[in-house]
Amino acid sequence: MVRKTIAFSPFTRLEGDLQIRVDIENGQIVSSRASGTLYRGFETMLRGRDPLDAIVITCRVCGQCGLTHSAAAAEAIRSLLGVRMPRNARLAGNVMLAIEAILSHFTHFYLSFAPDFTEPPYCERQAQIFLPLAGSSFLRALREREALLGVLGLIAGKWPNSLAIQPGGTTRPVTASEIRRAHGLLSEYLRFVEEQVLGCELEEWLQLRSVPELERWLGSGSHAAGDLGTFAALSLRHGLTGIGSWPARFLSSGGWSGPDGETLLPPGFHDGLTREFDSARITEHVKHSWYDLRGGALPPASGETEPAPERDDAYSWAKAPRYEGQPAETGPLARLIIAQDPLIADLAKKYGPSAFVREIARLHESIRLLKQVGAWLGEVDPEEPFYQEAPQALSGTGVGLVEAPRGTLGHWLRVEEGKIQNYQIITPTGWNLSPRDSVDEPGPLETALVGVPVPDPDRPAAMAYVVKSFDPCLYCTVH
Amino acid sequence: MANLLWIQAVCCGGETASLLNSDHPHLPAALRTLGATLLGHGYFHDQDTGRAEQVIEECASGKRHVDLLAVEGAVHPQAPDGSAWASAKPLAEWIRAIAQVADCTVAIGTCASFGGVMACGRNPLRATGLQFHRDQKGGLLGASFRSKMGVPVVNVPGCPAHPDWIIGTLWALRANRLDEADLDRFNRPRVFYGKLAHHACPRNEYYEFKASAAAYSQQGCLFENLGCKGTLCESDCNERLWLARTGSCTRGGFPCLSCTSPLFPDGFTPFFKTAKIGGIPTSLPLDVPKAWYVGISGLSKLACPERLRRNAVSFKPVWAGNQESNEDGPQNDRL
Ligand code: SF4
Ligand code: SF4
Repeated sequence: MVRKTIAFSPFTRLEGDLQIRVDIENGQIVSSRASGTLYRGFETMLRGRDPLDAIVITCRVCGQCGLTHSAAAAEAIRSLLGVRMPRNARLAGNVMLAIEAILSHFTHFYLSFAPDFTEPPYCERQAQIFLPLAGSSFLRALREREALLGVLGLIAGKWPNSLAIQPGGTTRPVTASEIRRAHGLLSEYLRFVEEQVLGCELEEWLQLRSVPELERWLGSGSHAAGDLGTFAALSLRHGLTGIGSWPARFLSSGGWSGPDGETLLPPGFHDGLTREFDSARITEHVKHSWYDLRGGALPPASGETEPAPERDDAYSWAKAPRYEGQPAETGPLARLIIAQDPLIADLAKKYGPSAFVREIARLHESIRLLKQVGAWLGEVDPEEPFYQEAPQALSGTGVGLVEAPRGTLGHWLRVEEGKIQNYQIITPTGWNLSPRDSVDEPGPLETALVGVPVPDPDRPAAMAYVVKSFDPCLYCTVH
Repeated sequence: MANLLWIQAVCCGGETASLLNSDHPHLPAALRTLGATLLGHGYFHDQDTGRAEQVIEECASGKRHVDLLAVEGAVHPQAPDGSAWASAKPLAEWIRAIAQVADCTVAIGTCASFGGVMACGRNPLRATGLQFHRDQKGGLLGASFRSKMGVPVVNVPGCPAHPDWIIGTLWALRANRLDEADLDRFNRPRVFYGKLAHHACPRNEYYEFKASAAAYSQQGCLFENLGCKGTLCESDCNERLWLARTGSCTRGGFPCLSCTSPLFPDGFTPFFKTAKIGGIPTSLPLDVPKAWYVGISGLSKLACPERLRRNAVSFKPVWAGNQESNEDGPQNDRL
């Protein structure tokens, strides 16, 4: 049997530096290795600094989900201090993080995912609406972003790199007239989603609870012509339902916790059954990563980051996070499976956790969040405070877990004498694109790529779609 | 059509995210005004022109003309940074080669301009900017570098840069409306970096009377206690405004950290506190002599109207009417 090894990099329409090395036999991938190739050293940068600096520095880990990083840093400090934010701050924080997620999901869909259908081997006429900088859907999606950015501006001031989420709460009180303005802008964005993405009202989409209902919905003209309908038709035609599955274990720390502690999308770990999520069960392995091996597999609270670029038995700057010693997938699909969302659960039952289902979950989550943003805005009470001074973090440990657009994000922090002694970050793509671990078990993407056909190594289109369905952000992974 | 080659180096993708936020005009129209094809960019590179790394090689060898080279992110000149371009050369070498043949090179963001966050702290990876390392000339290309157009690397700092600064600078270069005389001492276009972030901040009146916020979410000026660097930060954020012209850092209630400065971030610690000696902030507003500052601020504090004194430490407006009925104390200050 002829076995070929091919390295693909860089990927077009992808954030960050990624290299995928695959072994191909008979036109199919038999094994793969995902490498994060750019090291920037954020964790070591933070040693010896004021704990509050983490809010400023870590939001520069990623230009797309920086607010979520700063929220995780603030949460880690809050957990060290044992304080909570006022109710308004939790609502405003949710609005900011949900908007960051919606922006990220739609940026992924319109800029990274959908345009591939316009290129060989697909060259789909139907996909011309997604043509970069030219297709009608592409152009409108970019234009309508403005309305959502306006809401973000009223609450977070500026973005990327807003510092509006602090340990004591949010820095900008919102007035009643600004809430009204935000509702108005939001409804403009909603109109775009209803007219162009769905071809129906939000509520009609949100009532779909099963695959047959989805199929019936797709059968109607205005839905089929929408961006979601077009994407679904193209995906079914080109087999995106049949690639990218793996024996998935899903992880979520719980997304968007409401003002009274309940979470919109609950935490959990799912491997057939959904169980309770406990961050103490997380370890990070470095056997195949360019870091000093001394520690072996360590819990992030006592994790180490000692670069060892000379190790030629390693292949990635990303570490390998494991839950109960095993790889786990995180992101919109994981969140919605754990939340027992009926539509997504049924889709996963029929098509497995495939590239198609991952992408639909991302769009579905955006739509659910969009509805929720309006509800949270409505609950903000301008007469009540947004901020309550928090004491200085002098010593102790803290953990901040926040659901980022792409999945579970954790910051672990240890402070002594008012200075950061250790800082560890595990990002969503860290989970999804993890390299092999101490027992050589591949990460989720590495396993999901096995079996994917590569008929033409110059155009590994199906492979690219499996990679992209995880919406990898390599900036985050290798921080 | 001109060629605009956009390379993402040691970065976080933030400049690209900011570029996508362009409004008035939106990005596609903004790119049309440039009359340029965007090459090499992670999102916008067009496969029809060839695979991105192949295009980079063609640009370096002169086979494909580069009108504008835009770099997002710092560079690691010493170490092969292993960045993803499949070819043997580290990214820094590609940038060095292409800068020699491009008509003009533009550093997008503080990292590309000065090293920024990627070069902060001890900087073990020795990240640096294209033609500056922090506030010193040098960087990857060296102090004497001039592009074919005869200008040094044009710096468009900001963490990230405002989309108007990016598009506006590229447009001015394309239209031959920008030369060395239009750049300041850090090679930033004066038109965007000739003002202060402090200008048009809604807290200006509080600043004048030194009516300061004591904690976040309060309406007073953030300079005296909360670490605002807006009075020495060269940018036009509060006039230009961000995010569909709805906000800025100080409008968002958090301090300006002077992210357009060559010394960002380490030159501006503590970020969220104002360093003081004997009650006087150690970094005074740009161009204001210390003696004057001390004299004026003492006087203006004394002259501060009650309205400002109360509102400065309140998270919501305290109206004049309330003031009268609350003569005994600031009961409206809920914090
Ligand atoms: S908050 Fe900063 S920018 Fe605004 S007035 Fe005060 S010093 Fe100036
Ligand atoms: S206000 Fe200051 S910190 Fe904020 S974006 Fe402008 S220059 Fe940067």
